[in-house]
Amino acid sequence: MKILAIESATASSSIALGEDRHIVASARRVDRRGHVGFLVPAIDFCFSQAGWSPDDIDVVAVDVGPGLFTGIRAGLATAQALAGAIGVPLVPVLSLDALALRAATGRRRIWAVVDTRRGELAVGPYQPAPGGVVRDGPAELVTPHGLRGLLESDSSDVLVVGDWAALPEGTLRGLHGVRTGRPRYPDAGAVLEVAHGKAERDEIPRPDEVRPQYMREPDVDINWSDFRSEGPWAK
Amino acid sequence: MSDTPLILGIETSCDETGIAVVRGRQVLSNVLSSQVDLHSRFGGVVPEVAARAHVEAIRTLTHRALAQAGVHQRDLDAVAATQGPGLAGALMVGFSYGKALSWALDRPFIGIDHMEGHLFAHLIDHESYKPPAIVLLASGGHSQIVHMRDWGDYEVVGSTIDDAAGEAFDKLARYLGLGFPGGPAIDRESEEGDPATVRFPRALPDRPYDFSFSGLKTSVTTYVRKHHAAGDLPPIPDIAASIQEAIVDVLVTKTFNAVEATGVRLVAGGGGVLANRRLRERLTAEGRERGVEVLLPSRVLCTDNGAMIGAAGIYRFGLGEITSPGAEVDSSLRLGS
Ligand SMILES: [Zn+2]
Repeated sequence: MKILAIESATASSSIALGEDRHIVASARRVDRRGHVGFLVPAIDFCFSQAGWSPDDIDVVAVDVGPGLFTGIRAGLATAQALAGAIGVPLVPVLSLDALALRAATGRRRIWAVVDTRRGELAVGPYQPAPGGVVRDGPAELVTPHGLRGLLESDSSDVLVVGDWAALPEGTLRGLHGVRTGRPRYPDAGAVLEVAHGKAERDEIPRPDEVRPQYMREPDVDINWSDFRSEGPWAK
Repeated sequence: MSDTPLILGIETSCDETGIAVVRGRQVLSNVLSSQVDLHSRFGGVVPEVAARAHVEAIRTLTHRALAQAGVHQRDLDAVAATQGPGLAGALMVGFSYGKALSWALDRPFIGIDHMEGHLFAHLIDHESYKPPAIVLLASGGHSQIVHMRDWGDYEVVGSTIDDAAGEAFDKLARYLGLGFPGGPAIDRESEEGDPATVRFPRALPDRPYDFSFSGLKTSVTTYVRKHHAAGDLPPIPDIAASIQEAIVDVLVTKTFNAVEATGVRLVAGGGGVLANRRLRERLTAEGRERGVEVLLPSRVLCTDNGAMIGAAGIYRFGLGEITSPGAEVDSSLRLGS
């Protein structure tokens, strides 16, 4: 099974091409901006490295978040167009799942953390399992303080992976049994692996079911409140 | 590749997801997913809401546009998508989609200036449309007067120094409690009103081609407050018609100022505000009086759509202009610079 994986849901963006779980080409850069300019050249680069053509691909995998809204959409729009043009399924992967998969731990419980900005984090707990990890609790959006609370009430030994470096200083200080580790960002190789598992289990949604996982309602702060209450016709 | 190229046009710069298949001057399909209902409860276009809706709609809409045109994606000669100006997050959706599609199909990709798209929309409706022309572009996001000296040779002779014309309509319609989008709402309300009821000031009289609409809001609110207090406030249709007249008057006057200054004998218009009944009337009448031809696109082609991007794409493709796959969107792209 030949897979093209696209990841641009965080400050990092990456592309991976692989046969089953074996990565044959990849490209990556870390920059909060510039996902739109990076993706297609990186895809082109990977295909020429691998000596593949688009029609060789069986599955397109994409990180659908949570993470940075514009990055999620750039990745998903790219993946939608490619899957549609090639005529293959599109498999969505959660950024937290991809992060946790690469967490280097033998036995510790994993908390994957993605910075969604505006003082909030998407987090999810995972348990190491043969050949990967299993999420054993809900993915949720919390404040740094909320994350500390979650970790305090987790009695197991814990490894925090993801963008913990972006947390306010002291957020994790003095927590018992908590360690921090890599990776900082999800990468397309991990997205590819998660998607491969899903495709093998036939967990392939309809194309219109593949949607961004923002985990947050849009900010609709429009600066017209002054007009709302002023006129004699105001409700 | 045939002599008349077949191009997919993608437009996602604001609140309409527009996809079209265009061959030469012929529009084979032009599908639109309007977000008006989504934004109306906020009283304006919310960028994040717009971007979300684009990514939900673009795949299905592209398939629909191809199916309606009766063409297979492999038949396309190129893919064109709006690069700017517009809302960055919204632009990124169509631009990313277009780039990836063109890459997978191994066809050229062309990033289009949204304003040039508006300039090319006329090609679809009007055989006689050709430069030189003075083009009034007015919508919720833009208000400018463009001197199109030749294809691809544009000079922006005037623009708004604050709000866009469509924005002025939106804010004032909201103030009058008429809902969103404001242009059509005020247009409708004005039908029963007398435009001579109040003469709201026309801004920037000494700058012949530039617009300013933010002062109008203040004049209207001041007027309403005063007359509401005095108990002699005219009915809403009269106020709406007077507001509309003030905006339209400025747009028409400055457009024809540019006509006089350049000696150009053709006027055209684009953008959502050009769907305004009174503006169309006044532009046509003014043209007739001065012996200047006035071409107005159909209402469908006035508002943002994929066909206008496809039409501009045909032109750019003909010049052999191709946009790098590494290009970014440019939300502040300026026509003619
Ligand atoms: Zn427009």
